[in-house]
Amino acid sequence: MPKTSNAADPVVVFDGVWKKYRRGERNDSLRDLIPALARGVMGLGRHERERTMDVGENEFWAVQDVSFAVRPGEALGIIGPNGAGKSTVLKLLTKILKPTRGYCATRGRVGALIEVAAGFHPDLTGRENVFLQGAIMGMKRAEIARKLDEIVAFAGVEDFIDTQVKRYSSGMSARLGFSIAAHLDPDVLIIDEVLSVGDMPFQRRCVERMQEFKARGVAIIFVSHHLQAVVELCDTALYLHRSARALGPTVDVMAKYVESTERDRVLPRRGEIEIVKAQLLDARGIPVTAAEPGDELTLRVTYEAHRTISDLTFGFAAHRSTDRLVAYDSSVAGEELGLGTLEPGEQCVVDFAFRVNLARGQYHLACHVLHAPTWRHLSYLMPAGILTVRETRTYGGVANLELDAQVIERYRAGIEVRA
Amino acid sequence: MIPSSASSVPLEWGTHRPRRSGVLADLQEIVREQIDYHELLMTIARRDMLLRYKQTVMGFGWAIFMPVLNTIIFSVIFMRVAPLDTGMPYPVFAFAGLLPWNFFASSLRFSVTSLTGNVALVTKVYFPRELFPFSAVLVSLIDFAVAFTVLIAMMVYYRMGVTWAVFFLPVVVLVQVMFTAGIALLLSMANLFYRDVKYLFEIVLSLWMFATSVVYPIDRVGGRLAALLSLNPMTPIIDGYRAVLLRGTFPDAHAFGYAAAVSTLVLCVGWFAFHRSEFRFAENI
Repeated sequence: MPKTSNAADPVVVFDGVWKKYRRGERNDSLRDLIPALARGVMGLGRHERERTMDVGENEFWAVQDVSFAVRPGEALGIIGPNGAGKSTVLKLLTKILKPTRGYCATRGRVGALIEVAAGFHPDLTGRENVFLQGAIMGMKRAEIARKLDEIVAFAGVEDFIDTQVKRYSSGMSARLGFSIAAHLDPDVLIIDEVLSVGDMPFQRRCVERMQEFKARGVAIIFVSHHLQAVVELCDTALYLHRSARALGPTVDVMAKYVESTERDRVLPRRGEIEIVKAQLLDARGIPVTAAEPGDELTLRVTYEAHRTISDLTFGFAAHRSTDRLVAYDSSVAGEELGLGTLEPGEQCVVDFAFRVNLARGQYHLACHVLHAPTWRHLSYLMPAGILTVRETRTYGGVANLELDAQVIERYRAGIEVRA
Repeated sequence: MIPSSASSVPLEWGTHRPRRSGVLADLQEIVREQIDYHELLMTIARRDMLLRYKQTVMGFGWAIFMPVLNTIIFSVIFMRVAPLDTGMPYPVFAFAGLLPWNFFASSLRFSVTSLTGNVALVTKVYFPRELFPFSAVLVSLIDFAVAFTVLIAMMVYYRMGVTWAVFFLPVVVLVQVMFTAGIALLLSMANLFYRDVKYLFEIVLSLWMFATSVVYPIDRVGGRLAALLSLNPMTPIIDGYRAVLLRGTFPDAHAFGYAAAVSTLVLCVGWFAFHRSEFRFAENI
């Protein structure tokens, strides 16, 4: 395939794309078939109605005015709730659907990992399916034959390659499907939620493989609910909910997405004691949502007792927003705080002061109250605050270990060299 | 991440750019896709082939069994019950008609559900969807070739020789393949949008068989019905097989020329209609 354009040109373009869907069932009758066919053949009045911006009573916009571009070696993550139009975007990219309005295009060979085993036929053997699926993905027969051993080894199904796929476990067929795609030599790789299949080692191999592709200059579009995986792979992200809610550096987009999903927060349980309010404050007592490593912050939590209660334990935790990894979880007994018994209607405000020794990303702060003797949860608030940590030094992880590297000595042939 | 203006995008990029409509542009696209995807057609046909006889004891035997059984039934009817003069041993006459008819019918029977039976592929992966009905035709063609050996055996048994006209056989096959493929495209597409098609089709197919000179010479029918029956392009095609193989003559130029023209037209219309509604398949399946 001749590559006439230079490397910086985008290989995936979405330009003001709209897609309209119909709700419910069509109730066309066979009577409409002949005129429809005639129109199709003549190319007359083709889908004028579909192209208009009006939305009929049974229609809705699944994708509204989405634009983005991906260049070689870039990875774009698409995140958003279920039904946000993520899969529709991928189907538009892979030419399965046609946009109602706008323009979208890909250049070069497109490898799509949309439901990895779509082309598999249960009655065929693993080997037969590799050839079938490989051909569907655009590989030449000779190419598949050459890579067959590698594909099978990567999937780890050597012993079952001549077994019918219907006897495979779902993990095995998914692994084989991914493995075929991983041995494709694409210019654009589209990945839809594949990390949810396969065991841990296989998932790790997949991630490594995707990093390899990216380093090799493949443009990647990655759709996942596994936010941490998106953070690790993608430089830019698109938060999609029908329209593009945010597009830009992954960290910022992730912050927007995480904040927007917090409308469905866990409500404090009404019972003996309730968490009525929580506020994240900086050192000067001003409410904040972002901080830098090393900052001193305070989570100020107000509790209200509904009954006479004592022996309370107050918990404080920080979770990484993208995958709910527990970054910190601790608690303080009421006695340590010199808090005796709370009377009904009594409010008490507790300050949890902490230092932000965290790597960049979003963190959900949570707090809870326990009844120490029975170890019973009385109230729980998540998130009590959302914190975005901004820094540029770390690539990943949660803890900020305040790395400080310096050269202390240099030798050449046993003789000290002055820096 | 702002998309570059559309004008800087090379033209060949526009997969969804409002197409230059026009028969020529479509034809170009159709041909290019067939070249790009010819290997995939073979792979899908191989899959369909494997699947057709997987877990069957008889395997290819089924390709022979059906026309042979039908030949026996019709031989009993037209040799014992209502004897019929066909100018040649009746079993050969019937088999030479049932063989291409079976190819036609089985191609259509498999292609009518070829799109709806591959939902996962139609909605998840892109490639020209023509490959599904084409694969159905291709696999039936292989069955046809297998069963053809029986016809050769029968010709040997009845000591029937061939003439130079036999070299015209590929043309007859080609015309039939074109006609079959055109109908296959239309049927598979129609059934995707309207599932009534697969029921209606069975009725039409059995009527069609008796309106074609499959098991009796249709020219016995006279009157106004004859004029109507002469429009059926399957009759000159099947008579064409008998002419080049059994009678050792070339097919009737007039009738066969008409069949060839209709076949070409059906294939073109079917292919263009299919190609133009292809992008709506995933949404309507």
